[in-house]
Amino acid sequence: MTRWVGAPLPRKEDARLTTGRGLYLDDVARPGQLHAAMLRSPHAHARVVALDASAATRLPGVHAVLTGAEAAAASRPIRPLIPTPVPLPDWCLAVDRVRYAGEPVAAVAAVDRATAEDALERIHVEYEPLPPVVDPEAALRPDSPLLYPELGTNVLWHDVFAYGDVEGAFARADGVLRERFAIQRYASTPLETFGAIAEYDAGLDAYTFWTNDQRPGLTLAILAESLGVPQARLRLVTPDVGGAFGNKRRPAYLLVCALLARRAGRPVKYLEDRLENLGALMHACNGVMDVELAYRADGTVVALRVRDVADEGKNLVSPTQHNLIKLGNIVNGYRIGAVAYEAYSVLTTKCPSGANRGIGKPFMCFAVERAMALLARRLAMDPAELRLRNYVRAGEMPYTTPPGAQYDSGDYPATLRRALERFDYAGWRAAQARARGEGRLLGIGIATSVEPAGTNLASYELITGRRAASGSAEAAMVRVEPDGRVRAALGDPASGQGYETVVAQIVADELGLTPADVDVERGFDSSTTPWLYLSGNYSNKFSVTDVGAVLGAARAVRDKLRRIAAHRLEVAVDDVELAEAEARVRGVPGRGLAIRELARTAYADVLGLPPGEPPGLEARHAHQNPLARPVGADRTVRSQLVFSNAAHCCLVEIDRRTGAVRLLKHVVVHDCGRELNPLIVEGMVHGSTVHGLGAALLEEFRYDDSGQLLTATFMDYLKPTALDVPDIEVDRLEHPSPFTPLGAKGVGEGGSIPAPAAVANAVEDALAELGVTVRSLPLTPERVWRWLQNPEEVR
Amino acid sequence: MNEVAVRLRVNGRDVTASVAARRSLADFLREDLGLTGTHVGCEHGVCGACTVLVDGRTARSCLLLAAQLEGAEVTTVEGLTPAGGLSVLQGAFRECHALQCGFCTAGMLATAHELLAENPAPTRQDIRDAIAGNLCMCTGYVNIVRAIELAARRLRESTAERP
Repeated sequence: MTRWVGAPLPRKEDARLTTGRGLYLDDVARPGQLHAAMLRSPHAHARVVALDASAATRLPGVHAVLTGAEAAAASRPIRPLIPTPVPLPDWCLAVDRVRYAGEPVAAVAAVDRATAEDALERIHVEYEPLPPVVDPEAALRPDSPLLYPELGTNVLWHDVFAYGDVEGAFARADGVLRERFAIQRYASTPLETFGAIAEYDAGLDAYTFWTNDQRPGLTLAILAESLGVPQARLRLVTPDVGGAFGNKRRPAYLLVCALLARRAGRPVKYLEDRLENLGALMHACNGVMDVELAYRADGTVVALRVRDVADEGKNLVSPTQHNLIKLGNIVNGYRIGAVAYEAYSVLTTKCPSGANRGIGKPFMCFAVERAMALLARRLAMDPAELRLRNYVRAGEMPYTTPPGAQYDSGDYPATLRRALERFDYAGWRAAQARARGEGRLLGIGIATSVEPAGTNLASYELITGRRAASGSAEAAMVRVEPDGRVRAALGDPASGQGYETVVAQIVADELGLTPADVDVERGFDSSTTPWLYLSGNYSNKFSVTDVGAVLGAARAVRDKLRRIAAHRLEVAVDDVELAEAEARVRGVPGRGLAIRELARTAYADVLGLPPGEPPGLEARHAHQNPLARPVGADRTVRSQLVFSNAAHCCLVEIDRRTGAVRLLKHVVVHDCGRELNPLIVEGMVHGSTVHGLGAALLEEFRYDDSGQLLTATFMDYLKPTALDVPDIEVDRLEHPSPFTPLGAKGVGEGGSIPAPAAVANAVEDALAELGVTVRSLPLTPERVWRWLQNPEEVR
Repeated sequence: MNEVAVRLRVNGRDVTASVAARRSLADFLREDLGLTGTHVGCEHGVCGACTVLVDGRTARSCLLLAAQLEGAEVTTVEGLTPAGGLSVLQGAFRECHALQCGFCTAGMLATAHELLAENPAPTRQDIRDAIAGNLCMCTGYVNIVRAIELAARRLRESTAERP
């Protein structure tokens, strides 16, 4: 029975979050806690010749100082996600070399943050500057300065993949469209910055971490290895998290806190300031993509060739993911039979790249959807018509792309048609023609995309040749307490997605209760929450794995309640159903037992249990999504598992005098399968779309040639305000996934993927009279104004 | 460290304290008074998460020093919350799903409170103008605008209630 799943229920969380009663990391105050600050390199690339922290140690209020050399002596390097040809030890503080401006070289714990920052000024570091490596294409050259001379190159991974008869398809094509696109560095910048509190118990040789780290399973493994303690002596607790979007992970900072806490004998809190967050935590990978589309005269795209250079910055923790995660879906939603993909994962002396909402797919979509827009221009076809000609059809689902991703469900043509209708595409095309007659620059942009969910770590076998981790899974717990009320917990700590509400909806349906009867634990606590190495809040995975984990646990408890009721009522188990807080005998009105009464039996009056039935009403369950599989012998790969899709239509007007792009209208039609809570789903679509609009128009981490970040505050790194974006109009189709327990699919990332491409297509369309080609973002007034002055530069 | 004696009212209570001259109002509220409902997002006055009401007007608590607040009346989200329930604005935020992670919410509520005190019937554009100094990274602002609109309507229909 699904009374609650599918209902647009306001969130349980909001009672505390609207009243200032949430508990975010900085609200956690451990007894005697100290505050840490980190000294960071002013150079993008330099040798650390000497470091003297003795004066900092002497400052009153300072309790512990940690240098890179001391950290290296007291801990082991952080394990990289992929092994490198030679070991590249990545310590929690830089030891003898810094590789980006902002890399920490020392840390101080003091009575308050201000004192800790005062102490940083007393640490003297002698640097010998080395040449920076800022541009990823330059980093590829044999004569480039090297971040790791022992590696002999800046390239962490290079490979070439071909699926189908690529050469033949290009040879037989009527035409080939070639273009080079670039994406800038940007980030979703959660409003709460990243941090941790570490406590050390010397008696137990055990550590407790309070952190807003969004991937606790993997982080716990790294902490145990680096600290050299068994995982059983680590506890990691996640409170309310003020947004994450992929950014909130840096095991090094947790290690720094742990080493300081051990040294000081007191808990140590570190929380980034905004400068540290923008300059040193995690940027979406910038990159360059060369795209070639082979097509027939009627607009059918027959082959795609891509060269994809991913700029990792100094990222040893998770390199290559921006390449791998695009490979399967590089054809976007199109039926393109032959694909060649060349991957470069390149180190540069910039902030580490990492997961950011949509990871890799916004660039995939920008490149493919820009190429489709250019092809429509070349063929003088309507861009909508060109797409409709090339989509994977609903009848072809599940459809496997040449590189191996399986698109499980959906109707891509119908999604675009609905968007065109909601947008009033025909009407706006007519209005555009009139506006152009008046000299106005009005543009319409279409972009459509797939939105994958769930990560299968087996895909790294393509790089490493061996399997260290694989699949996609999550764990959950459901417990009917002795008073008949329910407690649930999930290994995926929410960062705004409303899991306390949605999990309660799912459990309520299974147990015949209401969501008000179900308390879902806030966040994560490794000592009580069930969890796996794969646990965490990432990869759009709630619908792919978490729902199955919750359902499995809830159903185990449900079945136990039915068995106990059947025994006590002396009826068959199959005749017992749960509804309205009772176990009832089907078809016999008035015959039943309250769940509260069954809980009393299970916990207190255990002689009333069926023979052999253990006491208690608690179940833990882990769900593995069935779609994950190892890399195929033909190098096909399922790096992600379940695919939602969306179509965006965007209307912009450009001010000729200033180059400013104004968003007049933005329509999203999306399909994430069954919506478990439509209120939450729609909110996520709004938010992720605006992330994409920010990347399209405003946001860029700009580096100068010396590797200095020029946009390191919210004064220079501009986020969309309420005045920069319109009311996002949302409509939906609903094609449930056959491969998730309730038919739901991912929805957290969808808007961020096509929105940049939609805006770029609209801006190019607005500038059609000038014939410019948009090859990069963001479309700031300055850039657009330059194009208006010198259009020949960007044709 | 220079200490400054300061007397002010916070959420209707008299507060007398000796604070470090460099202590921001945000840190004073959060760490000295335990009012952790006010959040700090950027510490350079752009994000608006730390917005509170000072003498009824919005102010960035990260850009004010506690020592400047002699004689002021400061209201935080704790002071905007009625005993045992939600204010009209808070209820509208919940109903319209105007928050996800919740980190910007206290600042948004303070800004919306000021807007509705001055303009009981704001247009959508008025609302967007008013909240343009508060960043939200989760909602895309759509539902925040809806919530403030809904609260304004409810307050107009029932003039007895506070925002």
